[in-house]
Amino acid sequence: MTLEMVGFWMVAAVLVASSLAVVLTPNLFHAVLYLAAALVATGLVFLLLDSPFLFAVQLLLYAVGVMTVVVFAIMLTERLVGERIVQTSRSLLNGAVVAGAVFVGVVGFLIRAPRSVLRPTLDADAIPAIGRALVGPFAVTLELLGLLLVVALLGALYFARTDE
Amino acid sequence: MTLPPVARAALRAFIVLNAIILLVTYATLLERKFAARMQSRIGPYYVGRPHGWLQPIADALKLMLKEDVVPAAADRGVYNLAPVVFLVPCMLIFATIPFAPELGVADLNIGVLFFLAVSSLEIVGLFMGGWGSNNKYALLSAMRAVNQIISYDLPFVFAALVPVLLAGSLQMSAIVAAQQGLWFVFYPVIGQLAFVAYLVATLAAENRVPFDILEAESELVAGFRVEYSGMKFALIQLGEYAHMLGTSFLGALLFLGGWLGPGPAWLGPLWFLAKAVLVFLVVTWVRWSFVRIRVDQILAISWKLLLPATLVLLLATGFVVATRGAGGG
Repeated sequence: MTLEMVGFWMVAAVLVASSLAVVLTPNLFHAVLYLAAALVATGLVFLLLDSPFLFAVQLLLYAVGVMTVVVFAIMLTERLVGERIVQTSRSLLNGAVVAGAVFVGVVGFLIRAPRSVLRPTLDADAIPAIGRALVGPFAVTLELLGLLLVVALLGALYFARTDE
Repeated sequence: MTLPPVARAALRAFIVLNAIILLVTYATLLERKFAARMQSRIGPYYVGRPHGWLQPIADALKLMLKEDVVPAAADRGVYNLAPVVFLVPCMLIFATIPFAPELGVADLNIGVLFFLAVSSLEIVGLFMGGWGSNNKYALLSAMRAVNQIISYDLPFVFAALVPVLLAGSLQMSAIVAAQQGLWFVFYPVIGQLAFVAYLVATLAAENRVPFDILEAESELVAGFRVEYSGMKFALIQLGEYAHMLGTSFLGALLFLGGWLGPGPAWLGPLWFLAKAVLVFLVVTWVRWSFVRIRVDQILAISWKLLLPATLVLLLATGFVVATRGAGGG
């Protein structure tokens, strides 16, 4: 077993454990922290796959960006307003069935897919290629995403406005 | 002596980690001495003559021996983990900083991005501490911290991206190499404006006066760390100063030409250290000269001034690079 595989299994264990903890813990704040752990672990998987760029983006966008907003919402609503929000997981069984079905599907797909013994190494110059793709063939998609975010921002502004 | 690559990398990381901790310890002495001089005092003097050079060691020993108090109402797990979660990203940022050509832990091809991503993770530790302490002051402080991070992360990233655009690379060593002819701080107009924006955003990112509303001694006692004592307090303090030193190193690397300077090549790391200390002292100088500003003022400065200004600056840099080509001079 190579060092890389040891790293992968450790990260995978953390990822699965923290993901389970997100849905199973009753404390909403703890759930958010477990979510952060799961997102960072996902980033580490990218790092182990030789893609530090995706790792950094994962950290910046999800682990920090999303987390900050979520925590902001909890802090604003729960302790400062004085009401405790308890996370309840109803229909755990249905969820487990759906998750199991997805798992079986993915495993079935992986078993049938051709696998090479060696992982192809990532080209070191992938980042300029990503950049060119974003302003070339995917330029319209990128602009549409920007438009979507602006609309979301305007919507948030509308809701946050105090009534006069 | 031939070591396997993994062992060599681990050894290098170990050396860098210890050097940084030593440097951070003495950065506190430097700041205390500097602040004392600004206020016509002498500062630490008696522990280790001349000029109290043993004071940081004594402080560290004292903090290790102090009683560790956990508030009865605290969320124990979160409270105990918070200092570690806070410290780790502050130390990790040094992983991509090369201190001279080939002298660093890892010179990633996305070095600057890695730095920005990892350093913004410290907020997780911060609000864990603020929440886990179960203290009103700590919670208010964590709220303000999240507020401030949302506001100042973007200007900080945009200011740091100006040298990246000028150099045409995210790799730290390539950015320094691009400044061979002209340090980016001397780049006409763009360089100076970006450097000033970087310094202001740095002050906010490090939660220093005039942006220290989240520790505000006179209203929040000491903010999110109010319940911490002993070694946990020391870890938080260590993380904070490491972050400050890390951004100083990044500033010296992005704008002041890193290890470039006259003299033989082995002087490079010393030049780099001197420039980083210079940035550190400028930040400290601001800290001991200004008063704390209000929350709404902090938000207004970021959203109404710094963010549009850095965006325009980034656009202008893009135009310059597109017309004149990347690289210094």
